[in-house]
Amino acid sequence: MGTISLRQAGKQYGAVEIIKDLDMEIADGEFVVIVGPSGCGKSTLLRMIAGLEQTTSGQILIDGRDMTAASPVERKLAMVFQSYALYPHMTVRQNMGFGLKLARLSAGKIKAKVDAAADRLKLTPLLDRYPKELSGGQRQRVAIGRAIVREPVGFLFDEPLSNLDAALRVDMRLEIAKLHRTLGATMIYVTHDQVEAMTLADRIVVLKDGRVMQHGSPHELYQNPANLFVAQFIGSPKMNVLPCQRNGDGMLDLSGEGIVDLALSSSAAPVHLGARPEHLSLVAPESGHCRGTVEAREYLGGTTSVFVRNPKLGLINVSAPAETQFGIGETIGVRIDNSRLSLFDNTGTAVRTLR
Amino acid sequence: MNTQRAHSSEFRLLVTPLVLFLLVFLGFPAIVNLIYSISDVSFETLRQPRITGLSNFAAVWNDSAFWQASWFSLRFGVLTALLECGLGLFLAIFLSPLIERRSWLMAILMLPLMVAPALVGLMYRLVLHEFAGPVPYYLWAWFGASFSFLGPTSAFWTLIVVETLQWTPFALLLFYMAYRAIPTEIVEASAMDGARRWHLLWFIELPLMAPTIVVALLIRFIDGFRVFDNVYVLTGSGPGGSTASLSIYIYEAFFKQGAIGKAVAASVILFAVSFAVLYGLNLIASRRKGAVK
Amino acid sequence: MINALRWLIFAIAALGMNFPILVTLATSFKSARELSTNPGLWVQAPTLDNYFAVFQVSDRLNIFLYLFNSITVAFIGTTLAVVLALPAAYAIARGKLGERTLLPFIVNLRAVPLIIFAIPLYMMFQWLALLDTRLGLGLILSIVNLPLALVILVNAIRDLPAELDEAALMDGASRAQILLSVIAPVCRPAIVTSLIFGFITAWNEFLFGLMLTTSKAVPITVGASFFFAASGGGVQWGVASAVMVVGALPPILLGLIMYRQISGSMTAGAVKG
Repeated sequence: MGTISLRQAGKQYGAVEIIKDLDMEIADGEFVVIVGPSGCGKSTLLRMIAGLEQTTSGQILIDGRDMTAASPVERKLAMVFQSYALYPHMTVRQNMGFGLKLARLSAGKIKAKVDAAADRLKLTPLLDRYPKELSGGQRQRVAIGRAIVREPVGFLFDEPLSNLDAALRVDMRLEIAKLHRTLGATMIYVTHDQVEAMTLADRIVVLKDGRVMQHGSPHELYQNPANLFVAQFIGSPKMNVLPCQRNGDGMLDLSGEGIVDLALSSSAAPVHLGARPEHLSLVAPESGHCRGTVEAREYLGGTTSVFVRNPKLGLINVSAPAETQFGIGETIGVRIDNSRLSLFDNTGTAVRTLR
Repeated sequence: MNTQRAHSSEFRLLVTPLVLFLLVFLGFPAIVNLIYSISDVSFETLRQPRITGLSNFAAVWNDSAFWQASWFSLRFGVLTALLECGLGLFLAIFLSPLIERRSWLMAILMLPLMVAPALVGLMYRLVLHEFAGPVPYYLWAWFGASFSFLGPTSAFWTLIVVETLQWTPFALLLFYMAYRAIPTEIVEASAMDGARRWHLLWFIELPLMAPTIVVALLIRFIDGFRVFDNVYVLTGSGPGGSTASLSIYIYEAFFKQGAIGKAVAASVILFAVSFAVLYGLNLIASRRKGAVK
Repeated sequence: MINALRWLIFAIAALGMNFPILVTLATSFKSARELSTNPGLWVQAPTLDNYFAVFQVSDRLNIFLYLFNSITVAFIGTTLAVVLALPAAYAIARGKLGERTLLPFIVNLRAVPLIIFAIPLYMMFQWLALLDTRLGLGLILSIVNLPLALVILVNAIRDLPAELDEAALMDGASRAQILLSVIAPVCRPAIVTSLIFGFITAWNEFLFGLMLTTSKAVPITVGASFFFAASGGGVQWGVASAVMVVGALPPILLGLIMYRQISGSMTAGAVKG
């Protein structure tokens, strides 16, 4: 079992509130990724769950038991640190067995568990090496191995891939995903990288200034962001946000640059239109929803990002086919796929459209 | 039951031995010092000191030897600190190209730091001895004259030289480390800006080494001010008390004259002044740091 | 050209600063007869007689005792200082305990003239019957060694990533266990440095040796001066030199072997302290 619940959990340093009255339910076996910009409190939140950071208000329950004041080891959680935090004076075997040794397991049992974990992570040939003799990816695997041998009720990952180079990061991401499938254990994973969040998570929790902005499956967050912040944080390249208003016909007026044909409910008052670059297309000037001049192009191989400047709407990023012919300075039209756009009111909250 | 509070109680347990040790071996003596300093006490009445007020402080205050010793310590501290740091700075920068490639050269220069100051003082008794010492011998051989290095007029300066020669390596080492720690990019950037060697030294290297220079001056002043070992074995306090440092003054008041009250009162004064100055310096240092932030 | 000048300056500095050591070394190999005619730096007929004389035990002089005393008090003064400083350093560096009170106080202790504690300590030792004992002198030397040991260890622990402690906490270690099985092994270089530095400092200490010992626990720095006390016909300079060489050799050797670590810690103690 490995359910983790936060009830009104909060963290204050003096007068500064890092985490504010946070509620969260994590089911057994779920892979939850907490994502947000730096300083949003995501690492603090993870460390509160781990018991490394004091929870100043509210409760943390693990498997239904109040663990708010419990020591890290009582919580039966394991953590993989950003810097791996391997003990430099111990071999891989000693690193992995340290927690078991502290728990006073017999030498034979420790050996069996370490061997099993090493086998799973392909660490067996490295067991007698010291951390400084390992590559970054190997150290990462040892850190995971150290977590596995203790058979914790849940795994906590604190930006575990940020010290690896790009290629290795993809490999390790796949390995962590595989580990989750085979172990079936609860995992909470903190990252600032929304690609990691999208690819790994059963559920993403977007955090900003110590508050949950939205949580849900990657698909949900991508398709239906609850607010402007999530809309812009999730998805790469970033969503375009254009100023707009409702006109007399209940249609959407792009600041006088064009009209988007959309039936709005009578109470809706959107002021921002969010459209992902891949949901925009380049057309002849007269047939788009708005027009502008091409300011820059970035050839990405599979596609080309075309940046179109409109004096009132700003810079619009359009994901165009790789071999698109439009040149810098050319005037073109931008077409919005009106079934895929998001609308937000003046508080940044999403406005439901009538589709 | 709070985790954080449990941690801090664990930490408290870890500092406890040190704190207890300090209380016994420094706290208790400090209290004894304070009580004795306002008491009439002799070796016979150690356990029943009679509180008499500030007469011990008055005795110290009116003792010309106390002021002479204070003046000696102050001059000795300032002069040796300046000489050691000046010489050390010059050697560190000038010899840096040699030492950089042969670190054993630094080991040779550091040798005096390893020898007990008391032994170095004793060694100078040999070095300067009028019959057995090589310095007078060579002076006679080359110039046909020598002079009394530990006589009334020259003893102070001899001690200054003895102290400076032993502790210049300390300043040299600090400055060499600081000098080597100057990022090469900064030196290269200033070279691109057209700085000459002297500009580089004056506008780049010395300002970057300034904190180390201040620290070295301070440490060397403190060690010079509280000097005891080498002065004691070389000249005692003579001739005529002219080379008694404050440490020697207190030692002699206690062990030679049996004037416990006076010795303890002088200790308390020294204690108060030292801590006032040190905390003052700490305060200035932390303000500086705050201002920079 | 400029390099030749550098070498010249180096030679002058090395010779000047090490002059008393060189003179003493040379004199220790001279016979009494040679000394009376040749006080110079050159030895005409080297002899080991002075060393044989130094190691001759009499009821007044016993160099073996002095050396044994120095080794013992330096050992006590060094290990006790590190044993007290290491847990405190951990609490200061990680628990932020006493970071603004205890640490500056102890660092300032390095700068205080130690004579101010000497008199009450003398009286206290009289009551506790610790005068003229190796244990008593060793205890005091640990106070002398504490400031630098603490600064070196606090700096070493601060340089370790906090995640190391946290990983051990997650593994179920108590603070004491973390200190013993993670921090202490990882900080071994710093511990060795403070031990060596403390040993040299303790070996070279003179003031407390002079005050707190009289015969049984006399350390070599004080014992060496006994050889200067005239035994009839003035100081025997050859013998006196030999005893100084013997007394100075252990810290010099230790210093030469470990001088890299020592030079690093000197700057640490000075600049960061």
